[in-house]
Amino acid sequence: MPHANERLFDHQFAREWKLKKSRAEKDKRMPLSDAIAQFVEDGDSIIETGFAYVRGPLGAYWEIGRQKKKDLVGIFTPGGLNNVWHEFGGMEGAHVAYVGVEMRGLISTFRRGVEAGTLKVYSEWSHGGLALALRAAEQGLNYVACKSMLGTDIIKTNPYIKVENDPWTGEPVCLVPAIYPDVAIFHVHHADKYGNSRIWGASVNDTAIAVAARKVVVTCERIVDTLDIRSNPYQVVIPHYCVDAVCEVPFGAWPGDMPGMYYFDRRLQERVVRIEWKTPEATKNWIEKYIYGTKDVYEMIQLAAEEEGMNVLDYVKRLEQLACDAAFYNLGSWGIGGERDWRYEEVAKRAI
Amino acid sequence: MSDIQYTPRELLACVAARLLKDGESVFVGTGLPLVGAMLAKKLHAPNMMSIYECGAVDPQPRQLPWSVADPWTLYQAPVILSMSSVFGHSRAGYADVGFLGGAQIDMYGNINATCIGPYEKPTVRLTGSGGANDIASLCQRVIFMGLHLPQRFPERVDYITTPGFLDGPGARERAGLVGGGPWRVISHLGVMGFDEETCRMKLLSYHPGVTIEVIQEFTGFELLVDQDVHETEKPTEEELYILRNEVDPCQLFCF
Repeated sequence: MPHANERLFDHQFAREWKLKKSRAEKDKRMPLSDAIAQFVEDGDSIIETGFAYVRGPLGAYWEIGRQKKKDLVGIFTPGGLNNVWHEFGGMEGAHVAYVGVEMRGLISTFRRGVEAGTLKVYSEWSHGGLALALRAAEQGLNYVACKSMLGTDIIKTNPYIKVENDPWTGEPVCLVPAIYPDVAIFHVHHADKYGNSRIWGASVNDTAIAVAARKVVVTCERIVDTLDIRSNPYQVVIPHYCVDAVCEVPFGAWPGDMPGMYYFDRRLQERVVRIEWKTPEATKNWIEKYIYGTKDVYEMIQLAAEEEGMNVLDYVKRLEQLACDAAFYNLGSWGIGGERDWRYEEVAKRAI
Repeated sequence: MSDIQYTPRELLACVAARLLKDGESVFVGTGLPLVGAMLAKKLHAPNMMSIYECGAVDPQPRQLPWSVADPWTLYQAPVILSMSSVFGHSRAGYADVGFLGGAQIDMYGNINATCIGPYEKPTVRLTGSGGANDIASLCQRVIFMGLHLPQRFPERVDYITTPGFLDGPGARERAGLVGGGPWRVISHLGVMGFDEETCRMKLLSYHPGVTIEVIQEFTGFELLVDQDVHETEKPTEEELYILRNEVDPCQLFCF
């Protein structure tokens, strides 16, 4: 199998793959572990979706680690926590627009990997530049000419972008090629069983990513009836024909944020970023306990709750109470109250 | 008034807020810029429009967001766009001010957020650009906030992640950049601007208790000094009240 980088800008390969995908309304529901086993292959390039720690498919990323996938290539725009797998053989390189957690600082696993040379950085980007590379793929363009990244060292440390003169004005422009990642996993609020996916909040790059990526897995807070989607398509950001698998994973963005539903698990994130992943040994202990020692995200939440001396339901309720007031997101026909009760039941059922 | 107590970060937030004018649009980066923008909106700039790279425009946050994509940056936003759209709209001319942080800034206002030391073998690998490069490339003028230490204010940054005036006068135009470039630098020691002729950083005001000599000592290059250099105005009671009670009551940023 050629290296993921050789497929990354190959529009013909990406197109041929998508020509073979079914357009039919087909039930794509499956357990998360099956979807990861089937659609994330060793050596794939995998792109971050949502805003990494906001509506990021973290539950799926933990499952990738649990299944010990090898040699993935991360595309980080921005990138949160899944680079942790490089110390376990799970990630060998990255294309980087941003890896970090903003004010909480750097992610030490990424720092260690790049500084030691064990995690290769294949290209540097800006958020806007990578967003345009994805948008180009979505809009059917070979490349776009933009005004980002000009004059900087990003140009020198990204072998895929070029500076040329605009044929009309003669001004320098940065040419950004359409990018086609191997796999993208999304976490959304609602999806129907065919993969049409509805979100509340910012879509960031998600529509573009869904069209650009070859293989698409959707995890969702809740599977809804397709009539519900068809009666309100305006918040649907991923169309079903892009999607290969749909997995119902309530709290699938934990310990990140799910807009309108639950807030960042700030205590856990602070602990992970500042302490638990600070050294390779500590990281290994954390991974063994939280990932290899659990079977899914609910056992992980239960562990986190136990560490805080809390009942698991109180723990998730606290995260929900901290959430940005959901009433300001258009919830369509789903009342948030019913949604919450349902999810408490789900967590209780799955955690025990 | 002279015995008002405040922390260095609180001073930074207040100075930052004062630089934002009512009716402007501000593309906000993460960290202290979030605080400065929110404080300005609650004080003198209720019609200031903030833009965030996740796609949110003009939210009315009730509490300080933890991230630029935090749902609080979407709260009551009249429209939520995508990442490529908000940068595109900045290029089109809808973003007046870009408001950023970063690890290093040099005498020409170039910012490094990628690595300390050589790129191939960095001593510290940092986050990478995020939206900073786009904000500084496309917004009309740029405000930078950061800690003032010699290694954070070197003559040349180790890696230009985000363009300032690059290597001096005319360089932005030659590179094809559209925005006007760096405008103000706010550090915990003073406020800097840029000399129009040489594009070099120059001191505009020094914070209370700090001298020009101290600032020069903490700067890794020769800092020009504006002829009207003066002491930075202290935070007022009103600014501090709003900051402590309405903007950052949990002291997430201003501790």
